[in-house]
Amino acid sequence: MNIIDVVQYVQAMRDPAGLPFYPLVFQFLMVLTFALHIMFVNFVVGGITLALWGRMSGDPKALRLSKALARASTVNLSIAIVLAVAPLLFVQVIYDPFWYTANTMSAVWAMAFLIAVTAAFYCLYLFYLGGKKESRNGNPFWLVLALAAAGLAGYIIHSLTMEQLLADQWQDLVVKGLDVDTSGTVLAGFSLPRILHFIIPSFAISGIFLMIYAWYFRGRSDYPEDYIDFAARLGGWLALWATVAQAAVGVWWLISLPSKFNFLSNPFFLAGATSGLVLLGLLVAAKSDPIKWAPRAMGMAFVTLFLMSYAREALRSLYAEKVGYSIFDYKLNVDWGSTILFLATFLGGLVVLAYPAVVAYHAGKSDAPLTEEPAEGLGKVAYALTIIWFVVVAGLGIFISMKNGTLF
Amino acid sequence: MYPFWEVPHLTSGLIIAMIASFHILPSHLATGAFWFMAYIEGKAINDNRPELFAFLKRFSLFILVFCFVIGSLTGVGIWFSATVASPRAISGLIHNYVWGWATEWVFFLIEIATIYAYYYTFGKVPPRTHRRIGLIYAWGAWMSMVIITGILGFMLSSDKWIETGSFFDGFFNSTYWPQLAFRTAGMIAIASVYAIIVAASLEKGKVRYEIIRKAGAWGLCALAAGALFATWYLNALPDNSKELIFQDMIPPLKTMLHVAIGAAVAVAVYFLLFGVVRPQLACRSFGIVMMLVLLAGIGAGEGLREGCRRPYIINQYMYGNQVVARDLEAKKVKGEVEFFQEHGLTSRLLFFPDQLRIFPEEHLAKAGRIIALHQCGNCHTMDQKGIRPLPGLLANLGLEDAESIADFLDALGEYPFMPPFAANEDEKRATAAYLATLIPAGE
Repeated sequence: MNIIDVVQYVQAMRDPAGLPFYPLVFQFLMVLTFALHIMFVNFVVGGITLALWGRMSGDPKALRLSKALARASTVNLSIAIVLAVAPLLFVQVIYDPFWYTANTMSAVWAMAFLIAVTAAFYCLYLFYLGGKKESRNGNPFWLVLALAAAGLAGYIIHSLTMEQLLADQWQDLVVKGLDVDTSGTVLAGFSLPRILHFIIPSFAISGIFLMIYAWYFRGRSDYPEDYIDFAARLGGWLALWATVAQAAVGVWWLISLPSKFNFLSNPFFLAGATSGLVLLGLLVAAKSDPIKWAPRAMGMAFVTLFLMSYAREALRSLYAEKVGYSIFDYKLNVDWGSTILFLATFLGGLVVLAYPAVVAYHAGKSDAPLTEEPAEGLGKVAYALTIIWFVVVAGLGIFISMKNGTLF
Repeated sequence: MYPFWEVPHLTSGLIIAMIASFHILPSHLATGAFWFMAYIEGKAINDNRPELFAFLKRFSLFILVFCFVIGSLTGVGIWFSATVASPRAISGLIHNYVWGWATEWVFFLIEIATIYAYYYTFGKVPPRTHRRIGLIYAWGAWMSMVIITGILGFMLSSDKWIETGSFFDGFFNSTYWPQLAFRTAGMIAIASVYAIIVAASLEKGKVRYEIIRKAGAWGLCALAAGALFATWYLNALPDNSKELIFQDMIPPLKTMLHVAIGAAVAVAVYFLLFGVVRPQLACRSFGIVMMLVLLAGIGAGEGLREGCRRPYIINQYMYGNQVVARDLEAKKVKGEVEFFQEHGLTSRLLFFPDQLRIFPEEHLAKAGRIIALHQCGNCHTMDQKGIRPLPGLLANLGLEDAESIADFLDALGEYPFMPPFAANEDEKRATAAYLATLIPAGE
């Protein structure tokens, strides 16, 4: 008779091909790209909520801000979707037994997640379209729907993450007596302080987003000073108090964790908490002049998100250890060629990305159309890099195909 | 083995196929459209024709709000659906091609940065700056195709990789180049239909007809080149795939090929008549119909690609039921068929009732259901109707009882499109007992 327990299972389900590079690198990239992704998710959740508040309030400045945030949130949501690809990829590399188990037992919800994100984007877009003309305002009903869809998506992904941590409960969730649940409808994991720890930063990060918005558009003739001041002060206030609330929820979450994890003394947690306190201090200082402090606040907020994401990853590894799993003893089959391909593309890609960013920055800052080409040299380099990338890869491909006899 | 997700009537595999086929339309459109845009924008700048910009702005908006967003979401959707339908297969691909996908992601970032910069800087930056951003998008988007084609081709023809385990040996496989060329032609054809739809919404006049005529010519050339590349592609298929298609081993594959060819011919005639010869006749609604025809052709083409690699999901390496087919010495991977036949699939099945692990006679069919789902459920529904329904298939083979089904399971690997039954004797007996309960009475 075959008996297998969860400890044997997570080892057996590791991919037999092993990892093509060292797990620490995948872990670092996973955390870094997740932090970038979650920052934009925070922009979206806070942005939709603030847009709804602005639409419902009678204040013309709040109404104008609502329209701006609805437009920004459509862009931010599409960026969040694209940024999600990378952490989604890396988590499957190093935590595959956990990721695939949770997703297959909750398959219907994983599919519903996609529908919810799509619905959120288009509801948001419909609101934005409704208020595109200055004389009209979008129907707030679309924002309510967008928020509900985003909330559902957040709940699903939170539960899927929790399920990955609860490996010792997997069997009971799927095997019921003599029957096995193959419906894909399990949705079991939930932790209120943990999900709040994701929701509340949305308001802190969106508050800082408003500070940056005011910092960027100040000085443009079509952005009156009182409107800029309104956005900056609202942003500063929101960022400060949401960060205070976040600290309180953080303590609650900490208390709810299994005591044997000893998470309070975990260096990753300590780094994240310290960074959060520095951010709090910075936001207190920013009260007098939120615009001046905006770039620093945004920088510190990202550092905090990154360190908190690492703390979250440290927590995940503690849960994994409960079933004898560590990413650091994964079988290795190092493939230098493809690793170099990625790293070179990533570095070159940063240069290419800088070009549209610089152009958009200058175009948005100016009242009138630009007459001089901004960053022309960078543009030529960026364009050349994309072509060089293709030439190098195609050359390599033709060489390998000829060597292997797979060209024709 | 991971938990199994059973989708009544459809099978989970079909869920991936549906999302993947739909993904082709927005993703190929988003990839191809900016080449046509760059061409028109070049004309607008070089010939000093600002009236063309109205078309360009309208053209790029839909790419942004539909193609890019839906393309990204359905792209992630393919991953999610593959995760829940074939977790070991997507894991196998990711553990070999993670850096390929990560590289593609860098181009996704370039795409999103440039498409937003492009759309929101219309008329706000000098024309050459604007066109350069569009061109970077066009290259970046096509690079994502250059990369993903390597992974798609690998699933169809793993070639030298099966010996070396090397990323690039699998990536630049024998179907890579023809598939890349074919997809490139396809993306231009899709973009051309879309350009006609957008241009048909402009006011009647010289600009509208000029753009429609040019789009028709682009589309016609793309389809002509696509026909050549398709021949190359079909010729480059592995021998077992060719046999499945052309020797009628799986008749629906040939039907899919005919549907794909028929759709391409219909769209080619459309490009010629409504694009090149009589652009005045082109209208939005008929353009949308032709886009749907193209979508049907794409669905058939993708179905053909998926179907002709049977019994594998990753050519020569992993069967459709997610069992590793053979040893891969280079990565110290062991084939699993013999292991499961000796030690049993249940040795890796955590999600299996412990009471059933001794295969008690009174619950044999219950145990067999789980084994059958893992062995057959990715491709076959257990319902009476649906995708490749097992009850009907077994009845058609004249199998009437558990004994004859067990003999059939023993012989499964002899069919060129079926994986061998990878389970031990007890598990086979249980599976046969379960499958016998599915056969409709009286057949």
